[in-house]
Amino acid sequence: MRIGERTLSVSNLDKVLFPKAGWTKAHLLDHAVRIAPVMLPHLEGRAVAFVRFPDGVDRPGFHQKEVPRSAPAWLATTEHWSRSGKGAHRSPVLDEPAALVWAANLAAIEIHPVLARETAPDNPTHAVFDLDPGPGTGILTCAGIALELRAALEGIGLASVVKTSGGKGLHVHVPLAPVHSFAVVRAFARTVSEVLARRAPERLTTTMAKPAREGRVFLDWQQNLRSKTTVAPYSLRARDPPTVATPLAWGELEQALSVGDEALLTFGPDEVVARLEEHGDLLAPLLASRQRLVFGRAPV
Amino acid sequence: MVEKLTAIAMPRAIWSGALSFGLVNIPVKLVSATSKKRVSFNQLHEPDHARIRYDKVCSADGESVPKEEIVKGYKVGKGEYVVVTDEELEAIEPEASRNIEVQEFVELADVDPLHFDSSYYLVPGEAAIKPYTLLRRAMEEAGRVGIARLVMRSREHLVAVRPHGDALVLHTMHYADEVRTPAVALEDVDLAPVELGDKEVATAVQLIDALSAPFEPADYEDEYRTRVLELVRAKAEGETVEVRAEKTKPAERTEDLLEALQASLSSVKAGGNGAKT
Repeated sequence: MRIGERTLSVSNLDKVLFPKAGWTKAHLLDHAVRIAPVMLPHLEGRAVAFVRFPDGVDRPGFHQKEVPRSAPAWLATTEHWSRSGKGAHRSPVLDEPAALVWAANLAAIEIHPVLARETAPDNPTHAVFDLDPGPGTGILTCAGIALELRAALEGIGLASVVKTSGGKGLHVHVPLAPVHSFAVVRAFARTVSEVLARRAPERLTTTMAKPAREGRVFLDWQQNLRSKTTVAPYSLRARDPPTVATPLAWGELEQALSVGDEALLTFGPDEVVARLEEHGDLLAPLLASRQRLVFGRAPV
Repeated sequence: MVEKLTAIAMPRAIWSGALSFGLVNIPVKLVSATSKKRVSFNQLHEPDHARIRYDKVCSADGESVPKEEIVKGYKVGKGEYVVVTDEELEAIEPEASRNIEVQEFVELADVDPLHFDSSYYLVPGEAAIKPYTLLRRAMEEAGRVGIARLVMRSREHLVAVRPHGDALVLHTMHYADEVRTPAVALEDVDLAPVELGDKEVATAVQLIDALSAPFEPADYEDEYRTRVLELVRAKAEGETVEVRAEKTKPAERTEDLLEALQASLSSVKAGGNGAKT
């Protein structure tokens, strides 16, 4: 198969990866090609981890952070520090359409990049808030919290963007100039989360323990670490039928809340491609932000 | 606390019995010849720095399982296990033996280092210093190492005994079926078809000669461990992270976002709370 200048071999194209949707690996490759123009800028220069499901999403999958031995020679790679801090490993960097297709051919259904680019590995390009609905709540509860979070951030002069996790949750991202350390960004995310949780303890918690999450949204600030990855915008999720981590306009959250319809916040691959015509890349603000975390008397 | 990390632990005998070959019987003790110096950390819960403990839960219902309800299962197939009791295992344990009986003496060069596992010193009993020294000296002159069996902690080990300075050293060894062959470990690559020119080989050998030196283990140190210990020492002197029962400091309880951010970010800037990546 030829993609631009690259030639790569693909295999088992008729293998069914999403049995309910009847989606095969050929569908996955086709989706990768169609989504590449908007997805690639978000992956440029970043180590990525894969969640691979070679036997389909109804069979166990596995995480992979290191470049597989079978990777083509032209694939870009970067050094990335492991979570334990015990050492670096080489991770793939997906910076061209052929690389995205290569990943699809590995049945790498989910693609999770790190928060910093290799040009400034200690300085994240955004902060991430993961809103995860606890038992008895759902994506609409998350939508309400996300809007409050957005208003709070606006109150301190920061713009934010939002995407679905592709599951029941939402991710709110605060675009940043890559000038702050992970420690600063993490403290920022933690403080914002804890203040919001103090304002609305009945609907929101920052505690990971299961009982605290009953009837509440878990606002997780702990993903703001150099070693952590978060699902990429436009990445598929391993659900059947497939869903996509979909960038949203803030107005869409308000509308879904006002009509009370969860389905308005879940998108499949074809819907996401169709949305590009209307919305373009709603997460474009993440690509080159100049926002800084400077608050009054204590510039950081 | 930091001192403890760098101190060398006094070796303690982990086995005692006798080393024997032919009619000679030498009472000995085993002490570890090496000590792992990896820096280990305790896991703490970030919000309150309480210690994390492990809870064994049943995967079927998520409930905690008391020790007495845990049995050993050997996996024989997908989701299929054979349950084995402690009594059954005890019945087939190797006979407790206090003897390291040397079976044969072999050339050290014939024992590939891949087989070596842990290393111990053999410490002779006071009355046994003479036969111990005699054996050591004889092995040194013969250029041979003794191969023996040792039962320790109800496991039977294959061991090699060899002279080292004034002492005898014992290495536990991997059994043959525990050592992978290159054919298994390198199955993805085919090394056979590579052809090397005589000149290439000669140049590479020259390069090796140029870099040749006697091996001085003391020339190498674990630089990562040194850096970790320096980090821990600096933090222990400046800012100790204590185990706190209190969940949040009262000063942090504000609902004013700007005020909270000014406080938290300036403390990070000063190298405080949350400054880890």
